[in-house]
Amino acid sequence: MPHVSFRERRFEGDVDYVVVGSGAGGAAAAVVLARAGAKVALVEAGAWREPEQYPSSAYGAMRDLMDDWGATVTMGRALWPVVQARTMGGTTVVNSAIAIRTPADIFTQWEREHGVGGEGLRDQVWAEQAVLERELCVEEVPVGSRGRSNELAMKGAEAMGFESHWIRRYAKGCEGTGQCLQGCRKRKKQSTNVVWVPEVMERGGLVLSCAPVSRVVLEGRRAVGVEGRFQHPATRELGASFLVRATKGVVVAASVTHSPVLLMRSGVKNRALGQFFRAHPGTGVFGVYDEPVDQNVGATQGWASTHYRETPGLKLETLSVPLELVASRFAGGGVELMKRLGQYRHVAMWCHAVRAESTGTIGHAPFSSKPVVRYTLNADDMERFRQGMYLLGQMHFAAGARAIIPGIAGLPFQLEAKDVELLRNGPTDPRKYIAILSHLFGGCVMGADPTRSVVDGEGRVHGYEGLVVADASVIPTNLGVNPQHTIMALARLFANAMLARA
Amino acid sequence: MTWLVRSAMCALYPRTEGLPGLEDCDVDGFLERFQRESPLLMWVGVLAGALVFHLTPVFTVFVPLPAFLLPVSLLDRHSSRIASSDWYLVRQAIFLVKFPCGLCWGEHPEVRRRLALAAYPQDPGTWRVD
Repeated sequence: MPHVSFRERRFEGDVDYVVVGSGAGGAAAAVVLARAGAKVALVEAGAWREPEQYPSSAYGAMRDLMDDWGATVTMGRALWPVVQARTMGGTTVVNSAIAIRTPADIFTQWEREHGVGGEGLRDQVWAEQAVLERELCVEEVPVGSRGRSNELAMKGAEAMGFESHWIRRYAKGCEGTGQCLQGCRKRKKQSTNVVWVPEVMERGGLVLSCAPVSRVVLEGRRAVGVEGRFQHPATRELGASFLVRATKGVVVAASVTHSPVLLMRSGVKNRALGQFFRAHPGTGVFGVYDEPVDQNVGATQGWASTHYRETPGLKLETLSVPLELVASRFAGGGVELMKRLGQYRHVAMWCHAVRAESTGTIGHAPFSSKPVVRYTLNADDMERFRQGMYLLGQMHFAAGARAIIPGIAGLPFQLEAKDVELLRNGPTDPRKYIAILSHLFGGCVMGADPTRSVVDGEGRVHGYEGLVVADASVIPTNLGVNPQHTIMALARLFANAMLARA
Repeated sequence: MTWLVRSAMCALYPRTEGLPGLEDCDVDGFLERFQRESPLLMWVGVLAGALVFHLTPVFTVFVPLPAFLLPVSLLDRHSSRIASSDWYLVRQAIFLVKFPCGLCWGEHPEVRRRLALAAYPQDPGTWRVD
């Protein structure tokens, strides 16, 4: 019985290792453990959908793939959505599979500020990332799949004279269907549900889907398993309970928001648990072009720039947005809104992700496992945010846009080139912007000091045996680049360290 | 209460010469599905947003009537102004209504045809059980 889905009879299993979460961290750790001959159970809260079962519409993606319909928002000055998936494969199913090696300065920063990292970890992470790039077929977006929005972005960056690149992704032979956010039905994206989860099963592992874990079972200070109750993916009704016992260890990789909450609800005591939450908040600026852009054609994200990563602290990317989401994002209502939506074919959306220094916290709602994220950008980060808007506006005009749509409350809906300075002096109140938090970090941060960190440099929870965290929640600082490559490499290292200890 | 949500949605996304409005997009079927499938808290939020929409014409078009009693021209002006309100919480409340509007309108085959987009195949709504 290698795969167990929703059921109404109690399930119990015994394995060497149990891994909670099947996303970038969980699946990467599970496959390393399984390849070493260990019996592994991979326990995923969401349902397991094959690519041909992915939805096409944004409605279907919200319902079938996103955590709580994407309705988790930050509690702070502004209510910004926190985007995470809840499906077999986790967020690797709905992201753009962007592979960027962890920048060298990150390891220096981790060593200086947290007592882990340095050149030793850098070399190990980069070696793992080189393996991942081969294994997951990392390649640049092919010429025929770039689409006009990505090509215009390259043109804009070249005209402004800053460095940028075609994105390298875990995608084999992308056909440019523009459906990355709804899951790649063409099986080109190498998400973990396509590559690693089946391998875990083939190697004798056990996979549980529709199985949200409610508690890590602890015997004293030793983790010995996980338990929870199956949840029906359509009705959300609870089914039978399950218990998976693990003789060698428990790996928690349930996401930045869920991992800290799971540890809290399991009774893990640590002052840093749920602290030091960080993110890359970001938003986009639409450019309006005379010729149709058809942003839905081509790779969802095909162009990026890390030129401004250090100063002021921004990553720039293209992002094609489905009509359904543009329809709710454009400002206004009534006939005026419908006229604006008539421009859809002519708009291209490019966005920025701020390497924010602000920190927040993760807790959970009373009597619930629902995560509560408290987070507000400080003044410096809002300044970066504003600079990003200005850069994107300039880029669109450099690429030939006739107007831009910045989506800032209080500014005109559409700006012409002569008005672009309005963005430079735009508001620094986060409530004026429609933004999201896409890349999340922290909550179970790693470090040498148990009073300021939750796990050590090998992912082990301080003061506990057999309990490892292996997802983005261990990352103690903002990376300033897309985190999936780093998460996977760290998870592989942590899994190898578990095997070495065993 | 669904009619309250429906009328707010249709006022925010009306039919125009160039594009179908929500009333052309099987909004009733969509709302039945959305209410059944979305989390209860989200539906409560949409209801609250619709209430805000209907109770605020006095602040936008200065008429002390609920929005569902406004004549078409005033209703359209109210829709435009309330969705761009200076008050953050009001904007957010209206966004809660606009979110399902966008999902319903943007996936409709006729809307997609008008904007040269391919129609979506039916979402399977299935998952692996074996």
